Parts: sequence; structure tokens; C-alpha cells
Amino acid sequence: MQSMAKTVPQLRIANCLHVLRAERRITQEQLAKEVGVTRATVVAIEGGGYNPSLELAFRIARYFGTDINTVFSIEEDIK
Amino acid sequence: MLLKVFLYGLPLVALLAAFSYLYSAGVVSHDTVYARLLNSFAGIVFAMWMTLAIYLSFRLMVSGSFRDQMITRITFIRERDEREALLTGKATKATFLTSLAILIFLFCLSCFQVSIYRVPQDKAIDGKTGIVSLGLGFNLLEQGKQDRPEDTIQRVNIFSYRGLPVSSAAIILLLIIWQVISYNYSMRRLMK
Repeated sequence: MQSMAKTVPQLRIANCLHVLRAERRITQEQLAKEVGVTRATVVAIEGGGYNPSLELAFRIARYFGTDINTVFSIEEDIK
Repeated sequence: MLLKVFLYGLPLVALLAAFSYLYSAGVVSHDTVYARLLNSFAGIVFAMWMTLAIYLSFRLMVSGSFRDQMITRITFIRERDEREALLTGKATKATFLTSLAILIFLFCLSCFQVSIYRVPQDKAIDGKTGIVSLGLGFNLLEQGKQDRPEDTIQRVNIFSYRGLPVSSAAIILLLIIWQVISYNYSMRRLMK
């Protein structure tokens, strides 16, 4: 039996958080406070080291007054 | 509050335990009133601390919120958001698996029995007097002596290993310390 990991393509969730922040002149600390996480988490999301939960992703999108697809996108098969 | 008393009282308990050990060993004079008073005080403190330890360990088993509180106090790391909750899970998994590995290792060490000995020439097997004996021993209950026949053959032991020589209390303490250190190390590594 083939393993699931081999059949499902690897996905990477990209985001333009730093661009949106720069446009609105918001610091990581401010964004973190507004969406209820730590600055380390914002740093991790921007760096691609952490994929936020659906709830947090929606909170971030709502904070920027946009939809989730504008902030987050999928880059297929990074292998 | 009780948790703080338990944790911050630990150095005092350790100091008093050291004093009581010296007192019972006769290093500290039994004649002075202060020494006798301090020894009695140490006894009361131990009794209270042990009662507290039993109460807290029971509460730790049944209360989820208390477990969170305890882990924050022991590791000085608080779950502030979802990412840190995820890291906590990873650190816990690492700690669980390493502890399991240690437990399996200790179980093997406590079961293995190895004996290397020499028997007299007249008891030689195929002309060989040097014997290596390997065995596995498992007892459900602690026993002073296993139910097996006494050795009737006179033999000269060269090497004999019959389970771990460490006490069960020492192993439990070692595992507690290992769990705290492993969790702390994993969490700090993941948070970098």
C-alpha cells in the first residue's frame, strides 16, 4: 500500500503580511497585539516558519480589511 | 498559593534534610537545645511538605487547569498563543518519547541477569569449567529472594549482574528530573 505522504503534493502557504504591514505602517508588535498573539508568532508567520490556524488567518485578514486569499496564498509542490 | 509554597519550599526542605542527616549521623551534637529544636522543626516541615506533595500530585492528576499552572511554574514558559501551544505539544511529545525510551532501557536493565563463573573440575560441562549464564527475570511484586533452588554447586563468581542496583526511589527521582529538563530543553530549542 502506498503511503499518503507520497501521493499528496507538498504545499507551502505563502503570505504578504510584511507588504500589508509596510503599506499601513504597522509594526509587528502592533499587529501581534491587535490579533492577540505574540510578536514571535508574527515573525514566524512572516518568515514562513509557522502556518497560522484558520481562525488566526481570518483575524489577520479582517484586521487588514481584506479577504484571506489576499493575505495568504498556496505555492504548490515545493519539492 | 499552595503550589508556590511547595516549589519555593524545596530549598528549605533540602537544607533541613541535610541537617537531619547530619544530626542522625552524629555530626551535629545532640546536646544543644537549638539542634534538637531544629531537628523537631525539620520533622514537622517534612511532614507538612509531604502532605502537600501528595495533595498536589493528586490535584495534578485530576485538574487540567492545574496542570497548565504547574507546567508554567516548573518551566517558566507560558502558552501565550496558538503557536506556543503547538510548541508545547511538540516539546511534550519529545519528552514523552525520550522518557519512554529511558523506561524501556531501564526495564531491560532490570530484567537482564548475567553471570560469569567457574565450577570445579569434576562438575565441568564438556571439559569446560568457565560458564556464562544469561537470563531474564521479572517479578510483579518486590521480593527479597526469588523462589528458586539454592545453588548446590560450588562456584567461583567472576562477574554477576542481577538487575539494576539502583533503588526504585532514585529511578523515580531521576525520571522526574529528566522530564523537567527534557521539556525545558525541547521548548527552548523550538522557540528559537
